[in-house]
Amino acid sequence: MRRVIILALLFGGMSLILPLGGGQSSPALLTFGFLILAAYTSGELAVSLRLPRIIGYLLAGAVFGPSVLGVVGEGAREQLAPVSSLAIALIAFLAGAELRWQEVRDRGRTILRILVSELGLTFVLSFALIFALREYVPFLRGAPMATVIAFCVLFSSIVIIHSPAVTMALLTETGARGPVARTTLGVVLVSDVVVVLLFSGALALAQALVPPVGTDAPTVSAARVGWEIGGAVVVGAALGAVIALYLRFVRRELALFAIIVAFFGAEIARLAHTETLLTLLTAGFAAENLSAEAHGAALRHAMERSAAPVFVVFFALAGAGIALADVAAVWVLLIPIVAVRMAGIWAGSWLGARWAGVHRAEGRYVWMGLVSQAGVAIGLARVVSEVYPNRGGQLATLFLAVLAINQTLGPILFRIALARAGELAPEGRAAGTAEDEEDAAPEPAATVAGQAPDRSPA
Amino acid sequence: MTVGLVLVLVVVAAYLAAHVAFDWLGRKHLIVSGAEYLLLGILLGPRVAGVLTPETVESLAPVTTLALGWIGAVVGVQFLLPEMVKVPSIAYRVALVESFLTFALVFLAETFAIAWLYETSLVEAALPAAALAGIGTASSAAAVEIGARRLGEGGVEVTQLRVSAMVNAVFAVTAFGLLASIWHTPVIVLGRPLTPTEWMTITLGIGVVGGLLFHLFVGDERHAERLFVSLGGGVILVSGAASYAGLSPLLSALVFGAILVNTSRNRDEIVAALTRVERPLYFVLLVFAGAAWRPSARAWVLPVLLFLAVRAAAKIGGARFAGWANGLAPVLGKDWGRALVGQGGLALAIALNYVYQDGGTLPYFVFTAAIASVLLTDFVSARLVHSVLDPLLARRRAATEAGGD
Repeated sequence: MRRVIILALLFGGMSLILPLGGGQSSPALLTFGFLILAAYTSGELAVSLRLPRIIGYLLAGAVFGPSVLGVVGEGAREQLAPVSSLAIALIAFLAGAELRWQEVRDRGRTILRILVSELGLTFVLSFALIFALREYVPFLRGAPMATVIAFCVLFSSIVIIHSPAVTMALLTETGARGPVARTTLGVVLVSDVVVVLLFSGALALAQALVPPVGTDAPTVSAARVGWEIGGAVVVGAALGAVIALYLRFVRRELALFAIIVAFFGAEIARLAHTETLLTLLTAGFAAENLSAEAHGAALRHAMERSAAPVFVVFFALAGAGIALADVAAVWVLLIPIVAVRMAGIWAGSWLGARWAGVHRAEGRYVWMGLVSQAGVAIGLARVVSEVYPNRGGQLATLFLAVLAINQTLGPILFRIALARAGELAPEGRAAGTAEDEEDAAPEPAATVAGQAPDRSPA
Repeated sequence: MTVGLVLVLVVVAAYLAAHVAFDWLGRKHLIVSGAEYLLLGILLGPRVAGVLTPETVESLAPVTTLALGWIGAVVGVQFLLPEMVKVPSIAYRVALVESFLTFALVFLAETFAIAWLYETSLVEAALPAAALAGIGTASSAAAVEIGARRLGEGGVEVTQLRVSAMVNAVFAVTAFGLLASIWHTPVIVLGRPLTPTEWMTITLGIGVVGGLLFHLFVGDERHAERLFVSLGGGVILVSGAASYAGLSPLLSALVFGAILVNTSRNRDEIVAALTRVERPLYFVLLVFAGAAWRPSARAWVLPVLLFLAVRAAAKIGGARFAGWANGLAPVLGKDWGRALVGQGGLALAIALNYVYQDGGTLPYFVFTAAIASVLLTDFVSARLVHSVLDPLLARRRAATEAGGD
């Protein structure tokens, strides 16, 4: 009840304040403060309904966003874009910092095999579905075969992407560290790099089959893609080494340092034209593995604390970006696309787990952690709409509708997976090490890093 | 240089200033640091090096607004009523009289000076004069603390200075908030423009609602992270709302801070969190203030010098009168107002708020006057406090020893 009152007060307050702004007043700071409190409260409401916290954040953004109540306008959303960039940088760094070298060596083969199977199968199935339904898809209706193939390839290369943001948010919220959690995280992180490469190839193919109109369309070259990926590793490693030195010799004001690292790292990646996510991921990995374990853990915890309000606003903004009218307009296509994608992920993960010869829990539950989509996927869809303003715009609209569904279902499914795998205690706190439910009863609830059950995602 | 990189560099510099330079300079040389970051901002700004372009400074306006709000909240949390009632009411009377006199004297002098020098009407001159009067009323609490800390003693004199610094701050912020309400550009709501009273009510209401939301949000939670998210979200919301409505984020946040400290069970944690972030934000504000400065289009040297002189005279004269009128002249001495000459960061915050306010006239003249005053007084303010307290405390010690004999 208290939370409902908070939301009502916030909405009422914003409704009273918004008409008072003059033409030149910027609502960015006001919107940011509103989203922190509203989304945080919604997250707590979600937890009380036994849903992941980020569902609350997403719903807060969707409800208060331009599609429904309009408290968060399009202008404010655009002005808060730097918050999203900062959040992605923090997420990428934290994700990298989660990986220890020994674990990469232990799980690397499993992750690669699951990844190859899952991405490959999902891509093929998605391509086949869109191709089969081409007469019903707005941007393919009546198009020549070359165009159909090009756009089917583009759509499939985007739709297979996962969401490191949602995965990290769930793992941070729950503190899950078992095999399903770690394997899912590994697959999601590596897939981000693979999909960027795959997308680059798909875009090059599409541009060869269907040359874009106009000279401003961005072109993709192997050298550029190579630098974006390879350079990201180099730059990220260098940044990580600097961070490790700071942790060794200074180790003060870690909360502020964490924010600066994320900001600075994103700027360096942008200036060096390297892939931002991979740069920060590598930096986090390098910092964690070059530092003493306690120092790395201290930085991670400080970063999680500092990032709490940023994550909240990031997911709320993602929710505000869901155009419900667009989703409703293509709902007939959405259901088969979402279903086929999930089927591809499930079958591919299962096959990959068998191929890798791993534990049953990973084969049964990892796929549920791979359903979410956000962040990078939106960026790729935007690239397509820039290259092909007409068909690409329609493709982006359909994809964003698919993403809206996956963004909502994904966290719920992942949480269910962690619970069924015994990597969540009944109270929602993490088990220390997960046990497969067929082999042993789940461990009693044990706190990881002393986290309270209704902590924020950071 | 991109906006993001600029922000990173400024924050790093501000952190180093807060944790390395500030305490050291204050402890060793009785210098209330901050002026050098103002100068750094001017050097980096479009007037000199051009590293911080006007567009960059403009795009970082939300950060500046947040800093203003944070400073306002820090002023507000000083109003812990249970502690305030321990101080004799005469201290507050003296402080209020001194604040009022300083404001009135600076306002009158500057109104006539601006009207004469810039050949405007008295009514047109009243707005920048009132802004300057508000700025002039603020004095440096940091200088009082550094001076008092060095002497290592409490007592009536130190208490009076602390109370005066606090009351000066509240008076200045409230006066400026009132100014923003009176001179607000007309906004039509429900068929008519809002009146100044309504704008002032909205300013205060934003702070009150923010405080209420904070309590609802936090509930019984004592977890540090949740408190910080609530506090940060509250300050951001309150500052953003006031700024968006064209009102003073300083005043709204001051009300927010006062409500928080008096109604929350976590007041120690709240105050600690606010003060921990205040210093780096303050230095970020200084750098952006310096970068945002540009010389007034009109002749400004004489009016600025006049402001400096009138303010100093008003502080010393107003304090002397206040002490005399309340029978504290023998205790405080004649020139205890010298200890309040230091301006401090709040003066710059108010001046920057005036620059960003819609409808303000001669904003860069007002800003220049504030910068000049802060730069000049920052270096000597703690020493002035020392020069006032030293003889008073020596006299008290002598009286105590004589009484003991």
